Amino acid sequence: MTTTAQSADESRLAALIVEALNLELAPQEVDPGAPLYRDGLGLDSIDILEIALVISKTYGVQLKADDADNARIFGSLRSLCDHVQQHRTK
Amino acid sequence: MSAPPQDWTSRPERSNTLALRIIVWVALRLGRAPARVLLLPISLYFLLFAAAPRRASRDWLTRALGRPPRWREQFRHFHTFAATILDRVFLLNDRFDLFELELIGTDTVREAFAAGAGCFLLGAHFGSFEVTRAVGRMQPGLDVSLLMYETNAQRIGATIRAINPALGTKIIPLGSMQSMLRVRESLDAGGFVGMLADRRLGDEESITVPFLGTPARFPTGPFRLAALLRRPVVLMFGIYLGGNRYQVHYESLNLEDGDARHLAARYVERLEHHARRAPCNWFNFHDFWR
Repeated sequence: MTTTAQSADESRLAALIVEALNLELAPQEVDPGAPLYRDGLGLDSIDILEIALVISKTYGVQLKADDADNARIFGSLRSLCDHVQQHRTK
Repeated sequence: MSAPPQDWTSRPERSNTLALRIIVWVALRLGRAPARVLLLPISLYFLLFAAAPRRASRDWLTRALGRPPRWREQFRHFHTFAATILDRVFLLNDRFDLFELELIGTDTVREAFAAGAGCFLLGAHFGSFEVTRAVGRMQPGLDVSLLMYETNAQRIGATIRAINPALGTKIIPLGSMQSMLRVRESLDAGGFVGMLADRRLGDEESITVPFLGTPARFPTGPFRLAALLRRPVVLMFGIYLGGNRYQVHYESLNLEDGDARHLAARYVERLEHHARRAPCNWFNFHDFWR
């Protein structure tokens, strides 16, 4: 896996995700540019829900099912992190 | 040999599609009694000519009864399957008046509805799914969605519309990134979300639980989801007893601190309990222990 460097926010989010989903890799191994769903990190729809729950708890950001931008938001750790940083309430 | 995603209406396969279309046609035009006459030759046809379902039926009944089934018992297995498919036509048309229903455990559903935090309904390919809607009729305002694969959803949606266009059964399609976010939103709005939790699709992740004494693999998804979202879980089984009689069971599956594995074990235990009592209601006509 080609790993580009994670920003500080991305590292924190990656750590949250890895912990919530009990993934068998280190947070810094998550490629910030790779897709989260299916290929890339290989997550399924329940994993996406778990991520949404932990993001809501930690950052106060609600991820909605009918958001037209979901494909982009969950497109990578980087885009998810950008979305969270823009909308965070805590 | 991973089978493509299929719901229980498409098993046993092929020839039954035509047979079922004939039943539905007769049912809608002539009524239940004449259509039921057709169940006899159809069941007989399956018993004689559908080798794979017959083998599956024999294997299942042998396990459930603890001895090889008699010829008549296998016939009854196919007949029960066909009868519930016929009755679906009437149940989807809200002709509950045609049936004698014994509803057991409806309080669990009422309580979950009153609590307003949504609820999971877990069923199986066992008995009639449509008859379990009886409880929805007692509970006006109850919003029920079914979680299923898109291909099935489209076909089932089309079938339901063909039978009763006014019926608004909502379907949450599986297989997209947002599927489970949608489930949560539906529950948050107090909705009920139904899932059939006995059948794995393709290489879906599974939990192995002893079933009738032999380890069998059940899909992880429904149990993981229920354990994650911590909503009430109600099991429902609509068991066909013959004639126009159904016995519908609603049972609360106590969550407590149960993880997915505990939930699955509890579900399988109850499924086994009911399946042993009404083995002819088992509608997985394939090698379930594969």
